[in-house]
Amino acid sequence: MSATMMDVSARLASAMPTPAPKAHIQYRRNSKLDQWICFWSIPVFYVFFGLVFVCLTRTMPPPSANVSQAGAISFFQSVAGVTNTHIGFALLVFSLGFYAMNNALVVVQMKRMEGVSQAMAYAYIVVLSLGALPGCMFIAIVYSVAAMRPDRDPQLVSMLYDMGMLSYVGSLGCFVAQYVVFVIAVLLDKRRIFPKWIAYFSIWVIFTEILAGPIFAFKTGPFAWDGAISFWLGTVVWVFWQFSFTICLYKAIKRQPLDEVVPA
Amino acid sequence: MRTKDQTISLWLAPVTAAVLLLAFCLFRGFLPPLSPAMSAEAVASFYKENAGWIRLSMVIMNLWGIMLIPFYMVIVIQMKRMATPSHVFAYAYLGAASGGGALLALANLFWLMAAFRPDRGAELIQLLNDLGWMTFTAPIGMIVAQNVTLALAILMDARPQPVFPRWVAHYSIVTGILIAPGALAMVYQSGPFAWDGLFAFWIRNSAFALYIAVMFFVVRAAIRQQAVEEGVPA
Repeated sequence: MSATMMDVSARLASAMPTPAPKAHIQYRRNSKLDQWICFWSIPVFYVFFGLVFVCLTRTMPPPSANVSQAGAISFFQSVAGVTNTHIGFALLVFSLGFYAMNNALVVVQMKRMEGVSQAMAYAYIVVLSLGALPGCMFIAIVYSVAAMRPDRDPQLVSMLYDMGMLSYVGSLGCFVAQYVVFVIAVLLDKRRIFPKWIAYFSIWVIFTEILAGPIFAFKTGPFAWDGAISFWLGTVVWVFWQFSFTICLYKAIKRQPLDEVVPA
Repeated sequence: MRTKDQTISLWLAPVTAAVLLLAFCLFRGFLPPLSPAMSAEAVASFYKENAGWIRLSMVIMNLWGIMLIPFYMVIVIQMKRMATPSHVFAYAYLGAASGGGALLALANLFWLMAAFRPDRGAELIQLLNDLGWMTFTAPIGMIVAQNVTLALAILMDARPQPVFPRWVAHYSIVTGILIAPGALAMVYQSGPFAWDGLFAFWIRNSAFALYIAVMFFVVRAAIRQQAVEEGVPA
């Protein structure tokens, strides 16, 4: 481990260009405080995320994809508990702002890479700003609307139930794009800001997104939105990935020299 | 770096604010705001009676509501001028601003869809209306994140003469706190935190409007400062 660290820092030292500082750069403080604030917003965000989806709104693991209209109504009435759904999603829409801080951190680290243009960093922030709406915000809106009037026409409650889950489990493209962009950048990066294994791991996560495609066709079995493959396999892999990714990010910030000038 | 485009984008902000205010006043559902307690029939008849005004106001909002984004991007550029350790807050601000814009566009479409065929079943109109209001009012995380990241960047700006004065950081936080109760529209259907309530509607939207007005002058001063610094006409 320490050998790799030394290897990396030696490579860092040799690869580090020393660009001529612009006028205002000289009064930059030598600190990474802003990046650390954004870094610690990641655990805060995922604590909120877990609390909301697992504990309060009971949408993770997902409720059954194979429910009658009455089943959907009883989910909103009793299974999730109306008050918990309300408070849960209110917390979620509040904490989603932290997500923007998480993603910006990756942008800064991607901009430090060498042999990769900044196109990948910009693509990363765009796909995730885009993905927040279908992937997370939409279920919050739709389930709050469903839970506010469970006495609505049962067909409509059932439709809202499906809309929420299909958007939450089935928003794939934005995240596939996130991983693809990240993989390209990490594999091309000569400075090894992120280790190569996290790129290979990310390719795995792309496959789990593909395995979630069939949820739009199946209501039961392993490919339903609550199924063993489409949900469980994908989620377990993703949790491990998110954990590893966060550690890699931590190390990347930690290793960043204090006086390094990141391209604007 | 040029400042002309920034000045143009800056002036788009009051134009956009005026257009949004106009749309706001023309949309009969805002003054006073529709109550979540209205029955499906009452909502449907509201859309039937006011379809023309709703369409006009919401098309105006549709056409011009997103025009605040260039102004936000000027703030991003000014944040990148700050002597902060990195530009991480500027990118977070950028990401949050685009997320917020998408939500406004979506809320606007729900209202327009409700007004498109107001003779549809009353429950369907009520559903579209609920979706519109919930999307418009509750997801405040993105606006709050914009204000918080801007405040943090201002506080860390190590320039001898900061790009934005320090009070803007505190003001941004206060505005964020005033906007945050909008999320409670997901919890309450009556009282001050419902989507037509004192906090979730009146204070949230007034705080936002006032913030844009104040930021116009703050950003204008920053662009002028940049022009002087770089020796280009503003």
